[in-house]
Amino acid sequence: MQRSQYLIELGAVVIVAIATIAVAETKKEYRFEVGPKSKVSIVNQFGSVSVKPSTGNFVSVTATTYSDKVEVDQNQSGNRVDVQSHLLSGANAENSRVDYEVLVPADASVNLESATGPLRAERLHGDVEAEGANAAVDVKDMSGGHVHVKTMAGPITLTNIRDGHVEIDSVSGDVTLTSVTGPLVRVSSTSGRIQYNGDFGYAGEYRFNSHSGNIEATIPDDASVDVTAQSVRGLVQNDVPLQPKVHTSFLVKEGSSFAGTINKAASSVWLRTFSGKIHLKRR
Amino acid sequence: MNCAEFQRELPEFMEEGGNAASQAHLNDCRDCSGLVSSLEAIIREAKELQTSEEPSPRVWNSIEIMLRQEKLIREPQTSGHRSILPSLRQHWGALAWLVPTAAALLVGVGILLYQQRPDNARRAAVAKPAGPAAGANIQTADVSDEQLLQEVSARAPMMRAAYESNLRDVNNYIRDAQDSVNADPNDEEAQQALMDAYGQKSMIYEMALDRSLP
Repeated sequence: MQRSQYLIELGAVVIVAIATIAVAETKKEYRFEVGPKSKVSIVNQFGSVSVKPSTGNFVSVTATTYSDKVEVDQNQSGNRVDVQSHLLSGANAENSRVDYEVLVPADASVNLESATGPLRAERLHGDVEAEGANAAVDVKDMSGGHVHVKTMAGPITLTNIRDGHVEIDSVSGDVTLTSVTGPLVRVSSTSGRIQYNGDFGYAGEYRFNSHSGNIEATIPDDASVDVTAQSVRGLVQNDVPLQPKVHTSFLVKEGSSFAGTINKAASSVWLRTFSGKIHLKRR
Repeated sequence: MNCAEFQRELPEFMEEGGNAASQAHLNDCRDCSGLVSSLEAIIREAKELQTSEEPSPRVWNSIEIMLRQEKLIREPQTSGHRSILPSLRQHWGALAWLVPTAAALLVGVGILLYQQRPDNARRAAVAKPAGPAAGANIQTADVSDEQLLQEVSARAPMMRAAYESNLRDVNNYIRDAQDSVNADPNDEEAQQALMDAYGQKSMIYEMALDRSLP
């Protein structure tokens, strides 16, 4: 008898808990008709933003909130759609989280912001800007658009990006680039690690610099690059058979710098760190 | 004139060349002449960027906040411009953004030089907050940084540690880059590194003040 009463009480607690969660979690969907090359901005304080291509000329935003301390403001002005989390009195980082699932036309340009993230974008052709202090940023399968990412501590992962300018700034977040090519690929970091895995494309300019973070680039034998690498106080290591350069802007010093070319030297690769280690590897 | 007095007059010196006393101090003081050389180099570099896009209004706001925190600009006493920045735009046109940018750099470099003086470093160390966790890990005595961290603590306490750690890293970056510029003022890569370092610090301020917090 006691056991059945215990089970009844437990069941009641579970039902109340589920009901509470269901009430607290609210999902709303917003839909906007847009033309070609629209501009979509999602400004979130705390929570995730994920963007994928839609199947037509519309923007769909599904926002999930978890309390009544935050609401979603949205506005459309012609081809521009702005959505932002609006914190209300009593809001804090815990109760004002909003998670956004966004669909945009593939040619749209998007601006994503969240302090905590994560921020994700994939399979778009327009420009992508992503920014968040601690947000992890993951961008993949993009072509033709520019990709600009800024984080303070959040890690940044870019995969299969081509034909656009890529500019990354992170203070301490690790930056991982895989198959990222374009006319300009720039990464600036203070203490985060920079990892590049790819062939540096053709006729691009690649500039990676850090203060104390290590820089590691892994390239195939058929990569065509002109590379200079220098660490003021750290070590450099080169596993790639480079043709030495006659003229460099700095004095090449064994162990702390190297410079050379491989194949037709189509792309320029500039690696600099103050106290980090630089390692150029063969794939 | 001593270094502190010279650094107080540095904005006027950079714009107008300064008076005889400033010039005399500059001739005698290696630190201040190095500082002026670095700033001139940065301004030269910045001028080459004039064809690039103007920064967003948020950058202007961040710079203005920094300048106000350093008390280099004050609230207007009469009904005029809310900020000095629009008037700079009128006078300098497309190059207007160079002025606050150089001023912000100047403030940062000035603070660093100020802190590097042993007596000031001791004073700053004494002035550090004595609370249990507050500022315990701060190696920099940068007043602006401390104000920023207090602001972060008030609005989003969970983010303070990350801001504190990253500011410390960036300040080390600035210090090393500044040392490199001082060692060889003509080293373009060192100058670029110094600008990158300040760019990273500016980014932290922008994130903290503009959008990361409720």
